Amino acid sequence: MKRALSLLVVLFAASSLASETQVLPKNTWTFDFAWWRSSIDKQWSGDRKALPLIEENRRYEPGGGLQGILRAQPRADFDFLIAQAMYGITDRLTGVLYVPIVLRQQVTTNLSWEPGDYQSQLGRKYSEDDFWAWAGSLGQPRVPAVWNGGVKLGDMIVGARYLLPEFEWMSANHFRWAATLQVAIPTGTNFDPEEAVSVGTNLWELHAAGDVEAHLSADKQFFVDEFGVNRLNIGADVYYAFFRPREYTAGRGLKNPLLNNIAPYVGDKYIVDGGDWIAGTVSVDFSPFLGPTRASIVSGGDEKKAHALPPMLTLTLSYTRVQTFQSDWQSQSALWDYDREKFWQPGEKNIVRGTATVSLLRVGVPVQIYARYQSGDLIPGRYSRPANIFSVGARLVAKFW
Amino acid sequence: MNPRSFLSLFLAASLVACGPLVKPPTREFIELKGTPYDRGLQHGTQLRSKIRSFYTTLLTNSLFPYLSREQPDIASFLPEYSAERYQNGNFAYELMLDSAKNIERSLGRATREELQGIADGSGLSYDQILVLNTFVDTVLAVRGVALAIRLARAPLIKSVEFVGAASDGVDNDSDGMIDEAGEGLTEPYIPELYGMGVELAPTTSFKLVLTEVDGVDPATVRLYLGDRLYTQDSPELVMTELSATELQVVLTPAEPLPAGVTTTLVIGAGDKKLITVPPPTRASFMRDEEIAFTTRGAGLSPRDVRRVPLTDGRTRPPPIAIGVRGSMTRTGKSFIAHHFSLLDANSAHKHTVAIRHVPETGPSFVTIGWAGIVYGFSGMSDRGVGYACDPSDTLDNSVVGSVLDQVVDISKAKLIASGMPIGFLGRRMLEQGTDAASARDVIANAERAYGWTCVTADRNGGMEAIEVDSDIFNDGMKGNFAFSLSDVDALGRRWAGTSDDDVVLGSNYVKNVPDIATLTVAGQRIVPQRQWSGFFYRSRRAVDGVKGRLEAQKGTLDAEALQAIISDPQFVDQSDSMNAVVLDFDALEVRAAMGQVPATNAPFEVTEVRP
Repeated sequence: MKRALSLLVVLFAASSLASETQVLPKNTWTFDFAWWRSSIDKQWSGDRKALPLIEENRRYEPGGGLQGILRAQPRADFDFLIAQAMYGITDRLTGVLYVPIVLRQQVTTNLSWEPGDYQSQLGRKYSEDDFWAWAGSLGQPRVPAVWNGGVKLGDMIVGARYLLPEFEWMSANHFRWAATLQVAIPTGTNFDPEEAVSVGTNLWELHAAGDVEAHLSADKQFFVDEFGVNRLNIGADVYYAFFRPREYTAGRGLKNPLLNNIAPYVGDKYIVDGGDWIAGTVSVDFSPFLGPTRASIVSGGDEKKAHALPPMLTLTLSYTRVQTFQSDWQSQSALWDYDREKFWQPGEKNIVRGTATVSLLRVGVPVQIYARYQSGDLIPGRYSRPANIFSVGARLVAKFW
Repeated sequence: MNPRSFLSLFLAASLVACGPLVKPPTREFIELKGTPYDRGLQHGTQLRSKIRSFYTTLLTNSLFPYLSREQPDIASFLPEYSAERYQNGNFAYELMLDSAKNIERSLGRATREELQGIADGSGLSYDQILVLNTFVDTVLAVRGVALAIRLARAPLIKSVEFVGAASDGVDNDSDGMIDEAGEGLTEPYIPELYGMGVELAPTTSFKLVLTEVDGVDPATVRLYLGDRLYTQDSPELVMTELSATELQVVLTPAEPLPAGVTTTLVIGAGDKKLITVPPPTRASFMRDEEIAFTTRGAGLSPRDVRRVPLTDGRTRPPPIAIGVRGSMTRTGKSFIAHHFSLLDANSAHKHTVAIRHVPETGPSFVTIGWAGIVYGFSGMSDRGVGYACDPSDTLDNSVVGSVLDQVVDISKAKLIASGMPIGFLGRRMLEQGTDAASARDVIANAERAYGWTCVTADRNGGMEAIEVDSDIFNDGMKGNFAFSLSDVDALGRRWAGTSDDDVVLGSNYVKNVPDIATLTVAGQRIVPQRQWSGFFYRSRRAVDGVKGRLEAQKGTLDAEALQAIISDPQFVDQSDSMNAVVLDFDALEVRAAMGQVPATNAPFEVTEVRP
């Protein structure tokens, strides 16, 4: 154990702050456990306006004209447990396994109703209660105000990062670069086509990462002290995310006949070929506080080595711009396809993240804890769905042989 | 590959992926050639996706569930509908299929082959395509029965009195007598096509007696006059319960009405018994009754009173058809303009299609309709013969006739339409008609499934109108009420126009009045159109509005002017507008706006009748 912990010095001295190029020394593990609360309540239009996640539903009574307009301002909240294991296969090649577990899904539908045409048989316009009573007589249950889903597994991700060989000028200028390839394992679920409210947990529906991503990253360190610890790091990452076509089962209205009976014209199955992404991230890490430093088991009892461990407090700010391509629905109904594709035209996401990391390594505890807030709607995007995420996590570092 | 080449390829691929999203058309044009089956197969194949979505979204997801709500009521009257075949959500489809199969016997072999072609091309069953092509007339007839039954439970107006009219020294009914006994009092009340009173004093009060076996609920009484709403809380409204079943309502407006104007008193009320099945819970409400009259100085007889627009937000324009020719138009040529509104249900407008048929024999023709349906409610042939038709509610329809035929054993009786849906007759007019009169005779010589009003025209200036029903009581006219543009009624007024060169048809009868005698069958009252149809008053208002526009534009009308008239919001149903069409007989062009709701939100696009 002592040997394992002492090697952390090597790890963190080499890659103490930015994650863009971080790799582990050979045979080293890190285990990262985080809790995420993700919320989404809007989508961006083509002109960067916030729209509800669900299009308004105009309801008609045959011969009676417009009953009214059913509008929803749904808000979806997810609680995730994210478990991540990284392993140093060589000193330059690190493998990673990423396991997202959805602990809770909650959708608050926030329905509202705009009355339509006067209905002579009622002597009034339909109220929302009138509408649901009417719909109930047609076998359509009222859509719940709040829907809760249980524990589900998301798409797992396996990946590998290779720290590319540095040119001489890179080493001299504290510059490094890396390439990463990650591939999703389809362990997530599709939404239930028969439910009025349902969310899936695969990467496309969460729109969190591509099924295959290829990254090229770089870090430049500044203010590096004699122990190899820097106070400022600027990182950059560009990547391409590919989404594989997914097959979905079309609803037959078995539970919601007025809302979900599409299979007769869409076909029993349809394909969603999600638009790929090209994205880029810039990040800045700043360490305002190095903290007390003492020789410990983590540094192998060597105070000098302890000074090479990461600063006690690091603040990170990053901006990611994701350029999304057109998504393609492929069913037997071009009109139905279009009604979905129009919200998934080429667009963009603008993601701003702030992270505070507290490292206890310098005081002899092999743990880092962090808190992060990610805003998807601080900068409006186009044709995308911005999620806001708060997360806290702990990272354990170990080497067992 | 060097890095620069790779980057170029990558960017090129990205640009391809970023191609602009194109909305699929909500209006299509297809040209069909060959035998009837070939044309059907082309239709079904080319519009396969649209046909399937139209059937599902309009029928399966909208109309069938809606009709199924009526099953308990109908089954209580006609127990056959309690049978297993009609259970488990199959009621509406099986009801439609019963009628479709019965109607099929009236269809020619060529039509059946065309329907089979559509079925083979679209992947739907023949029965589904048959239902899709016959449901309009069947649903109108069944809905008519249901509506008449429903209104029979609602309050009725027993009498209307213009208080003071019998002593005002004026002839208020143009009968040549002044202040005769009962002048100003209408009892029993029968809805009027035109004015109910004229030259009334601006300070006139209105006394009504409403009656209903369950009692009339004063809280539901609603009178609307001169842009003012009067309810139970209004001091101008005094209500007295004359008995458990009769409520007297007296309206004395605080301010005199303007002099020399035509205005409308709108009356609504519900009963005291709440209906809970099918939901939502509600009282039984009478149709809004509209009483048109003039105040002193207007100088009109009741027959000349034209209804004015209502702005109370409770009414929508009906389908209208306009025929103009000769002196009415800028070029002297003939046009038909048609704004068809009936049932969109957020579906029909996405499935519109202009179809040009090029048969192996006979004329080419264009219909304006919907995917999977072989006809439209307007169309024109390359012989220069065209038509436009509007539904006209009537209980003199084939479904009521089928019940009467089975009344001996009501336990086995079913609601079954028979005869020809008007759309198929439209096709036949285009295939067989050589002029307006022969086209009209195609309708006159057929059995009709439901009531309709139609205008036919040809490029030589011929123009005819006809009102039809199913003639279930053999009224001696065979249910045909045809008239030429110059024909006049007993009072010497044209039936439906402002001159010898125009005709305006709505969704009510003007010559076929009454369309059926009042009688009671199996406990259900059968009454004429004007006493129950929800289209009646709005049709009267729209027709009168169009007449005013035609008079104002006499001699200047052309295709563009007619497009503007049928696009006027006064004549556009914002919810159920389905298509707007102008037939230009001289140019052999069909101009159609469709693909949006209302249809006139889309541009008019021209389809040449000749290939």
